[in-house]
Amino acid sequence: MKKPINLIAVVALLPLSLSAQDRYATRNGHITFHSSTPVEDIKGDNHKVTSVFDAGSGAVEFAVLVKAFDFEKALMQEHFNENYMESNTYPKAMFKGTFSGQPSGALKPGTYDVVAKGDLTIHGVTKPVEHKGKLIVAENGSVKAESKFNVKPEDHDIAIPGVVRKNIAEVIEVTVSLDYQKM
Amino acid sequence: MKLRTIIAVAATVALVGGVFAWREYAREKPDTRTLEAEERISAKDLFSAFVADEQAATARFVGTTEQVVQVNGTIRAIEHPDPALTNVLLETEDPLGAVVCEFPKAAVPSFWRAGDAVSIKGICTGSLIDVVLVRCVPADLKN
Repeated sequence: MKKPINLIAVVALLPLSLSAQDRYATRNGHITFHSSTPVEDIKGDNHKVTSVFDAGSGAVEFAVLVKAFDFEKALMQEHFNENYMESNTYPKAMFKGTFSGQPSGALKPGTYDVVAKGDLTIHGVTKPVEHKGKLIVAENGSVKAESKFNVKPEDHDIAIPGVVRKNIAEVIEVTVSLDYQKM
Repeated sequence: MKLRTIIAVAATVALVGGVFAWREYAREKPDTRTLEAEERISAKDLFSAFVADEQAATARFVGTTEQVVQVNGTIRAIEHPDPALTNVLLETEDPLGAVVCEFPKAAVPSFWRAGDAVSIKGICTGSLIDVVLVRCVPADLKN
């Protein structure tokens, strides 16, 4: 049985005038990034995305611990943390923004095309982003948010050494899947 | 003769280097069961340390390279967020958060239930709302 998640500290960041029944949260969101080149494929998974979504205002935030990304090979994980993401200096990545496109008011069952717009912070560098996604509301009231988008390492001051330049894609595909529970 | 020697040495160096590079590339992450815990602490104290001073707790429990923390506590809940993973949430005496231990699904003892006192080894990755440990395994309480 899943227990309700208490994310008061995160919710405190959202507008105070909103009804609690509009709020959804997860501590088990899934994010992957995929770098594909002719030399090799590199994939990292993180199943510990913490996120809060307020259906009333569309406000959404999520955060991940960089060191919680899991790779197939130890060397990939070490390079990811030490050389590229510098996770000792920048231990978290986060997004803060809004979903738009879903119907206003209480969410009704259905699949909605939405746009996530806000600020994405990776490697300590914040960039405004706008990405398409889907909001899926099930008959039982559960809410799932999905989005797939691209990130350029250079946009976040992530330097790729020339010697491995051919191993790492210039554009990284990021997939986010958030299974929310009502708070 | 001299040229042959140079070629032989170069080939040997290339072969040894290639083998080393391949082994390094294919190296798997160490099994947490084989790693010694660098810290042993209760779930309550671990959570409190991050609440009190996240930066200091990150330096101590996350470190600059992967380090194993052995945490003792009472199971608040067991969740299955993914077919391959199980989360064991440990009580912290704070309703705001838990110590969340992510296990490969097969590594969680089937007899564990909410309310059980357990000891877990895992790689500490830091704190968001919860303190998060990954690649967890049950730890022997006698250790």
